[in-house]
Amino acid sequence: MTSDNILRTGQSWLARQITNHTSFGAYFEPLIQLLLPQWRSDRLRSKIVSIRQESHDMYSLVIKPHRRWQDFTAGQHLELTVEKDGAWMSRFFTISSSPAHFKKSGLIELSIQIQEKGQITPWLSKALHAGSIVNLSQAQGEFCLSRQEEPILMIAGGSGITPFRAMLQQLSLMPNKTDNVAKTLMYYARSSEHFLFKQELRKFTEQVPSLQVHFIDSAEHGFLSAQHLERYSENFKTSHIYLCGPANMILHGRKLLTSLKVNWQQLHYEFFGPEPIDLEQSSGANSILFSRSNKQISTEESAPKTLLELAELASTNPVSGCRAGICHQCICQKKSGVVYNTKTQQYSDTGAQEIQLCISVAASDLVLEL
Amino acid sequence: MNQPIRPNQTTLDNFAKDLNDIRAKTMKEVGQIDANHIRKMIRVQRASEITGRITMVLGFINPVLWILGVLLLALAKILDNMEIGHNVKHGQYDWMNDPNINSRNFEWDHAGDSASWKRYHNHEHHTYTNIIGKDRDFGYGLLRLSDDTRWKPKNRWQLPVFVLFSMMFQWGVAYHELAGERIFFGKRRKKSSLPITRTQLRNAFFSKGARQLFKDYVFFPLICWPVFLPVLLGNFCANMLRDLWTASVIFCGHFTENIHVFKMSECENETQGQWYYRQILGSSNITGSRWMHLLTGHLSCQVEHHLFPDIPAWRYLEISKQVQAVCKKYDIPYNTGSFTKQYFSVVKRVVTFSFPPPKIHAQAG
Repeated sequence: MTSDNILRTGQSWLARQITNHTSFGAYFEPLIQLLLPQWRSDRLRSKIVSIRQESHDMYSLVIKPHRRWQDFTAGQHLELTVEKDGAWMSRFFTISSSPAHFKKSGLIELSIQIQEKGQITPWLSKALHAGSIVNLSQAQGEFCLSRQEEPILMIAGGSGITPFRAMLQQLSLMPNKTDNVAKTLMYYARSSEHFLFKQELRKFTEQVPSLQVHFIDSAEHGFLSAQHLERYSENFKTSHIYLCGPANMILHGRKLLTSLKVNWQQLHYEFFGPEPIDLEQSSGANSILFSRSNKQISTEESAPKTLLELAELASTNPVSGCRAGICHQCICQKKSGVVYNTKTQQYSDTGAQEIQLCISVAASDLVLEL
Repeated sequence: MNQPIRPNQTTLDNFAKDLNDIRAKTMKEVGQIDANHIRKMIRVQRASEITGRITMVLGFINPVLWILGVLLLALAKILDNMEIGHNVKHGQYDWMNDPNINSRNFEWDHAGDSASWKRYHNHEHHTYTNIIGKDRDFGYGLLRLSDDTRWKPKNRWQLPVFVLFSMMFQWGVAYHELAGERIFFGKRRKKSSLPITRTQLRNAFFSKGARQLFKDYVFFPLICWPVFLPVLLGNFCANMLRDLWTASVIFCGHFTENIHVFKMSECENETQGQWYYRQILGSSNITGSRWMHLLTGHLSCQVEHHLFPDIPAWRYLEISKQVQAVCKKYDIPYNTGSFTKQYFSVVKRVVTFSFPPPKIHAQAG
């Protein structure tokens, strides 16, 4: 144990003893918020510099992160937390700009697609303006380019372009003359108007000779197929392949590539943003993942059960009490997905929040911290 | 104490519908204003705790400062336990998604461990309110408050017991919510409904109790060394003031003269209307100024709290007008009065039931 660790453990022990809070920061938080609105002891208070419209349903937040915000690797994401009507709302977004850009300007960008039925993404661009405060987590995620000798194939679907924009911007700002590894980007979009960062991506190909970018209009040319792979990336079988886009695109791509005998170890993918959820079509079985106990269970359409009953069936030993929504003992952190609250008769938000298991039923696939 | 005749099912169904409407209407308004309210309360609590502890130390300059310090610290503890702790732990602010202001993580400045308290208070007391044998908060296993409980010779002394219990209320509650008599004296139930083991319960009790003692009687007196004793004594007084106040508020909410009690048999397969009805008959309100309501954590609106335990409590005052109107409409009794009136009626109830029931009553009943 380093002396720094001992100091921190000691501080947190003392805070527990004399303030009943996990840290002194948590105890003083409401007072500090008087001076610094929205300050959080467990987040990094950062400033919006500007908001840029990328297309009719996509915008970028340009953010100056707090000075304690550490560096990141192109392709990583972070958790953005904002206060909406008194409630903290959190969402994960990919950083769409590069570390080199951050080093130069001190700024990062988050490019956000508006989810039509979402509670946050349509609201955020209206609620925020230059000078607004948002809270950031440190960057996290493993979806980054490997430094190996094999060629690289990137496949983006729609707004899934964001991590690749960060990676390619990094390559263009930090040119490496000896880097001859072939890099190919296959960028799919619904129509020719839906390609984002088009000028910029073209410019990257001029700056990075080993890079090729293909804009593929899926309305005209169809979706990712064996023919496309052969045409745009002849050496795809030996490449490291990166997939980012809507969930069904990744599932499709994964299946296609494995059927073409591409090695699992060469596949990298990231489900981009919250999966689109259509509440009217939410019937059918949903799967619930209990993240702590690493157990999984499916709902049955014919016999709806509360999440508490399901958690008990999956033997995750949930704490429970009145089973009627009164006592708040079965409260549990929902990591993602939509639940229907039978007491308030309302659908939840898609992001992380506390829910009462005994009066909640699944309205989509869920991840619960249990 | 005449038990009113329970209205018929149709009336109670309509009654429930009206109350549900009040709930739905109020919940729709919950938002920024509630977040601002609770944060403001926490700020006042922090400010009074910090200034209270400092002023108490300055008591060597002038004893008045010591008294002021004690009062400020007592105020901080009362706000922490009542308007903040009790209400946060009921989940009234869980929608804020705040890691420190939610029922799962909040820990209060009180001898009772938060999770144990939540287990008994939120579940047993709020679900089985005033059902003899089920709601252990009714009389706290110490006081005989109804003829449904058999008279024992020790009940003769329950007025002094009541006073002592009030002065050490936090320890009484900590021990009681833990079901201490079961844990320590081995009255083991055949089928335990506890979601955690007896050892875990006992550990929670000792570690939280020890933490509270360390803070107020070791840590703060020691860092103020030259004034060790005045600080220790000041902390003791602040704790006792808080105990007296919270005990009195809670007794006024459930043990006043016209509070009704129920048998388990009456409450099996209760409809929502019947449940609401029992909550109203089992609770009583206190009238007073805005400050008085804040200091009680709005448990002065005990009726509304029992109807809607997870609506942010500062809204109970507004709701109480609507609830009273609904009660009037269906001719359902609504118990309210000034603090003095309610407290006097609690004392009267404690004294009345310290005597054995008159023989005639026993035969007639």
